[in-house]
Amino acid sequence: MTSSRLRDTRIPRKPFLWLTAALLFTVPPMFGTLAMWVPLLFVSVLAAKFWMEPRDYRLRSAIWKLLLGAVVLAAVFVTYGSVEGIEPGVSIVVTLMSLKILEAHTAREFQVMVNIGWIFCLCGFFLSQDFAIALCVLIACILLLASLLEFHSGSGAASWWFPLRTAAKILLQAAPLIVALFIFFPRIDFGFRWQLAGSRMAGAGFSGELSPGGVSSLANSNDVAFRAEFPDGRIPRADTLYWRGVVLSRGYGFEWRAPTAPATLPRSSRRLPAGPPIRQSITIEPHGNKWMFALDWPFELLSGGGTVAPGNYLSSAAPIRSTRKYEIVSFGELADKDLRPRERERLLEVPASIAPAVRDLAQSWSNGGSNAVETVSHGLQYFRDQGFRYSLSPGEYQNNNIEEFLFRRRIGFCEHYAATFATLMRLAGVPARVVIGYLGGEYNEYGHFFVVRQSDAHAWCEVWLPERGWTRVDPTSVVAPDRVTLGFNAFIERRTAGASAAQSGGIVDRFTRSALLIQTRAAWQALTYAWDTRVLSYDEGAQYSLLSYLSAFAAKSFSALIITLILVCLAGGAAIAWIRMRNKAPRDRVRVVYEKFCNKLRHLGVAREAAEGPADFANRAARLLPGRSERINRIARIYIELRYAEPGDRGLFPQFRREVRAF
Amino acid sequence: MRPNRTRWKFTANTAAFLFVVLAMLYAGSSQQNAAAYVLLFALTSIGIVSIPHAVLNVSGLSGRASAIKPTFAGQEANLPVEISNACRSDRVGLKVRLTGMSHDFERLDRIPAGKATRATLRFPAAVRGEHEVQGISVETSYPIGVVCVEKSLPVSQRYVVYPKPAGDPNLPVTTQQSAHDRRETAISGGDEFAGVRGYIPGESQRHIDWKAVARGQSLMTKQFTAEYDSGRLYLDFRAVKSRHVEDRLSQLALWIIEAERARRPYGLRLPNVEVPPSLGDSHFHHCLRTLALFR
Repeated sequence: MTSSRLRDTRIPRKPFLWLTAALLFTVPPMFGTLAMWVPLLFVSVLAAKFWMEPRDYRLRSAIWKLLLGAVVLAAVFVTYGSVEGIEPGVSIVVTLMSLKILEAHTAREFQVMVNIGWIFCLCGFFLSQDFAIALCVLIACILLLASLLEFHSGSGAASWWFPLRTAAKILLQAAPLIVALFIFFPRIDFGFRWQLAGSRMAGAGFSGELSPGGVSSLANSNDVAFRAEFPDGRIPRADTLYWRGVVLSRGYGFEWRAPTAPATLPRSSRRLPAGPPIRQSITIEPHGNKWMFALDWPFELLSGGGTVAPGNYLSSAAPIRSTRKYEIVSFGELADKDLRPRERERLLEVPASIAPAVRDLAQSWSNGGSNAVETVSHGLQYFRDQGFRYSLSPGEYQNNNIEEFLFRRRIGFCEHYAATFATLMRLAGVPARVVIGYLGGEYNEYGHFFVVRQSDAHAWCEVWLPERGWTRVDPTSVVAPDRVTLGFNAFIERRTAGASAAQSGGIVDRFTRSALLIQTRAAWQALTYAWDTRVLSYDEGAQYSLLSYLSAFAAKSFSALIITLILVCLAGGAAIAWIRMRNKAPRDRVRVVYEKFCNKLRHLGVAREAAEGPADFANRAARLLPGRSERINRIARIYIELRYAEPGDRGLFPQFRREVRAF
Repeated sequence: MRPNRTRWKFTANTAAFLFVVLAMLYAGSSQQNAAAYVLLFALTSIGIVSIPHAVLNVSGLSGRASAIKPTFAGQEANLPVEISNACRSDRVGLKVRLTGMSHDFERLDRIPAGKATRATLRFPAAVRGEHEVQGISVETSYPIGVVCVEKSLPVSQRYVVYPKPAGDPNLPVTTQQSAHDRRETAISGGDEFAGVRGYIPGESQRHIDWKAVARGQSLMTKQFTAEYDSGRLYLDFRAVKSRHVEDRLSQLALWIIEAERARRPYGLRLPNVEVPPSLGDSHFHHCLRTLALFR
């Protein structure tokens, strides 16, 4: 008995290998979201454990444990400045669990380590719900299962792929249950009032104001902002793909802000515009703010928990902290062409700090006694003709200095052009505002949707023209026309192509342009989109609408419901029958025939004793039944050969059956 | 207990698993995190699916036990068992234990389909006397340890525990000693070969004439003669200076061992039984068995 106890005290090697592999797959979500030292600590702890385990070293001293625990807690606090929020919380979990791994040493604690693995998977989803992360977590789950299988089968696993195969099998068997639970399990908030504070990463994407460098800082980010489908198949032209985000109507030179509390534009005040409606189904990535996006001009939100605010932009009721899907109808123009005097006044406000030269320039455009349309074209003319350049990194402008931009450096990004143009228009007496959002997007052939990335972020202007109402004016389009027609990435590519023409043709370059890579990327995009739309955006509302659809369907066609139920029952019954069949002992046909023979003898008065072997029994029976002794002995001989000899003659069993039948 | 009964046991692992599941439920619902929900449902479903797997892992198993060799109180007894798997799939990660003995188990890592595996269950023999094994149970926490499934297999074996040898190792002085008492007796424990006789079940297998068996004859025991250099020794229950019955039995057991070691024929005299003096393996065990069954 000491042997089994001894075997119980060590973490077995093979399950530990599986577990290590699983834990490594829970690390990727941590990089880039947590402070760098946290995943590094975790990985080095794993490596240390791997080295320590065969040598039987471990963290034993309680003082060391407490000390290390205190040190990592302090380190987390110092790194983040607080322990609230998702990142510090996850960091604390990860570091403390790392210490636990360092300390675990018995087989019993193996299960604890696997549970730590599950918790790490969960932490991964807190940090990011990306499709790539989900794949990592899926692999981690399979490996965790494999480690459990290896552990609980002792050394009974026949090969290294046995646990992996069984894990996949169990996961497949669980799949219908997972799907059913996912669809039907009520998404209720269990009344837990306390919530983890929002992630510090939230707010990826732009903020509620426009300031120099705000949009260009996004231009380098390839993160997906949202994806859009056009369910009706009406896809607008590329140069009209202006995804409206926020309307900024309070101008402070280069800086523009949104009204603090967007009100709801009452539906009654909106008239149905002319022109074809453009229906969009948009899946937005969480950004921690209330902005929602839609093509110009959003008219009505069909689903998805938000409103159309004055200024005709969408605003969510609550900050968007998880992937959400909504449907929106837009029209190519606005029906409402009125502007009330008070509003007009507000839309002409400019900060007092604007330099006189700038005021003079604006006045020069309107002084010709011209109307608003002419003023706008004067302004655009100025940007076109005065050698303005479009650049991602225009450098900084001191003190909100529009003057320096307009008259000296003349280099800027879309935000500079939009802010300056709107300010100038106001100075010239044309009501103007700035809109930030996204421009363009990448079309995915596989999934038939647009991917709009952070790098597509854009800022443009809207001016109010008498009779025509709000009109979009994009000053960037006169400075860098290709930006509007090509999309940002393509635009940048074309611009850098000239510079790198000399060195083009490199392997990397050819690789990144290869058709295979592009197709793979598109397929990956489609998968990601499916994950986002089918899984991540399935929330309480989506569940409610699906369930009500199902119940309506069931009520409408009762027979379909019955047929479904019957099918489900049949499938379940078949599964159970299959399992029972697989686990039944195989029938021993030789034994069955021999038992028939014994029964026949019993009817003749010779019953086999419990402990009587076939040879002894045959001898006794032959003695008692001399008339049949020859046949009895022959049957016994064949039986013994069938039972105990090496399997050889195939004809023996049929002969045996014949003899017994004839007996 | 009903034989062949299968039941689930919830363990600390189950509690830990439930804790993890609840943590995920809390996290998923408070954060409205759909991915966390997916993970929660995956883990729950895996836990549920693992239960029939665990139940199947003990189905079709049957057990058989062989005889337990007698042992002294305070030592370990060994129960050889054979667990056979009548099913078409392998059984892995089994633990076999004696019913009622919760702490010690023997691992059976794999029983291939249609095959059997042997194991020896060791358990402490604490009290002298005749006992019976109550059955064995096979349990498994395979596949993932969420539940532990236990199946009782009916197994019946009686076994004898001899009294624990203790006391004074010096043999008592014999009373009937005389010089001309030296003679040779045909007993089974001597040095010189004296012939063969039929084998009596229970006798030591060391003296079986295996060559005769190989020739196809029945089992025979070889007889040996030995010389005794001292007179007959009667180990008397009443002669032991102790008040407690168990102490006396322990002393007698020790003397039997010492006498056997010294190759002195010894007899046993208990209040209700008397064993005439002799020597040898079967006599030795007969005496000890008499002590074990003494009431």
